[in-house]
Order: sequence, then structure tokens, then C-alpha cells
Amino acid sequence: MEKSVNNLMNQESELIKLARAGDRSAQSDLVKTHSGRIYNLGLRIMRNEEDAEDVLQETFIIMLGKLDQFSGKSSLYTWLYRIATNIALQKLREKKKLDAEISVHEPNFEALRGSQLKEWPDHLEDKVNDEQFRHCLAVAMEDLPENYRAVFVLRDLENLSTKEAASVLSISEANVKVRLMRARLFLRDKLANHLKCVGDIR
Amino acid sequence: MKHQHDNTMIKKIEDQLGNDFDAEIVAEVAEHMRDCPDCKIYVDSVKQTIKLFRVTETDTSVPEDVSDRLFKMLKLK
Repeated sequence: MEKSVNNLMNQESELIKLARAGDRSAQSDLVKTHSGRIYNLGLRIMRNEEDAEDVLQETFIIMLGKLDQFSGKSSLYTWLYRIATNIALQKLREKKKLDAEISVHEPNFEALRGSQLKEWPDHLEDKVNDEQFRHCLAVAMEDLPENYRAVFVLRDLENLSTKEAASVLSISEANVKVRLMRARLFLRDKLANHLKCVGDIR
Repeated sequence: MKHQHDNTMIKKIEDQLGNDFDAEIVAEVAEHMRDCPDCKIYVDSVKQTIKLFRVTETDTSVPEDVSDRLFKMLKLK
């Protein structure tokens, strides 16, 4: 297993070397290898396909333009995640400015905590095909402020370690943990409210 | 939950909620949760929340037209 991971890393190092030298085929291979992950990351943070495509395109423009600045200290995908996350957060902040007049208040995490301490039903995942339930999950993610959303996406959906997420977001590991805790509680409480409304929690 | 617990335990539970859920829960928090149904329900519901988002936010392939536009824009084949 370790051997095959090392082989892949060696192959990628070789591709990076060739791509830096202007080899179009190597550049193409790098884009092909990482475009799926970056597109999914963009979708998860931006919440729509059009913006996810913008994140995808801008990330790889930067990758090809700045590949000679990639130090190789982190893996290429961590470097690309950093670029893509920064682009996505910047876009969300720009949108927020445009939507400022209609934006809702910042959520109060403390007020949301512990509002319903009723046991949740088992097998809630059976409800994920329910359109109303999926809508509730989607809205909860959209309502989650971008700094928390980025941490939740990187840690809980993209499975990055605390250390990797901290590196991608250029924040401390302690800050990642605090934001992750708050993001999880925010989403949990949104979901609890929905389950209460539809009578799944009494 | 907050008013029923001392700040030290709240802090430990919060630390747990910011960590890997797959990692073992620290012994002190696990012991507390055995005697505190509220905390157990709360932590379990957070775990369920994460699980639900993982189930719904599955990976999507890059649509062909999106991929075509990307490679065209980068002038790559």
C-alpha cells in the first residue's frame, strides 16, 4: 500500500517537473487527475454548478501559471485545495456584499445550542431520498457562514486532517477545531428544527 | 445543555465535537456521557448530522461540457 502511494507520488513529481518545463501533455494529465476533486470542492462550498465551474477554471489557471512556485512541501492536491478554497471564499464574500441588503442576521451559535434534547430516530439516512429532507440539508449548508462551511467541507466531507485543513485555510489547528465544532452544531440544530417541524422529534 | 454542566466538562465536550469522530472519545467525556443522557443524545445527534451530510454530498463527475470548456480555456487536450 505504502509502496503504491510512493509510486503515485513519484509519478506526480515527474509530471510536475515536466509540466513546469511546459510539457502540455503533463499539464493536461495534472488537470485530469485533480479536476474531479476540485470541482466537487467547488460545488460543496459554492452550492451551485455555475460558481463551481468558475472555481474549477480559476484554480487551474493559477496552477499552470504558478506551478514553479509550488514548493513540493505539501502534496499538490493540498496546494490546489488552498487555491480553490481561497477563490471560493473570495467569491462568497463578494456575493455577500452584493446581497448585504437582503442578508439575514449572523446566526447565534450559543442560542442554537441545546435547544432540543430529544433522541433522534434511527436510520435517518433512509430519509435522504425525501425531497423535503434533502432541501432542508441543502438550505442548512447554504445558511452556514462561509468560514464555517469551508472547514466543515474540508474536514467532514473531503476528509482532510485538522493539520491539512489548517494549512489549506492558513489558520491554526485550534481554529479549525473551533470552527468545525461550531459548524457541526449549527447544522445539527438546523436539522433538529426541521425534524421537530415534521414530527420526527416530539 | 450548558446550564446543567460545569464549564470544564462543556469545554471537553466541545473539544470532542471539533475533533475526529472516528477517534476514540476521551475517557472522561465517555464516562460523563454514560451518566448524562442529554449529552449522549446531543453528541449522537451531531454524529448523525455528519453522517447525513456525507450520504447526501456524494462525489459528482465533472460534466462533459464543463470539462470541455476547462480544457479549451487552458488550451490543453
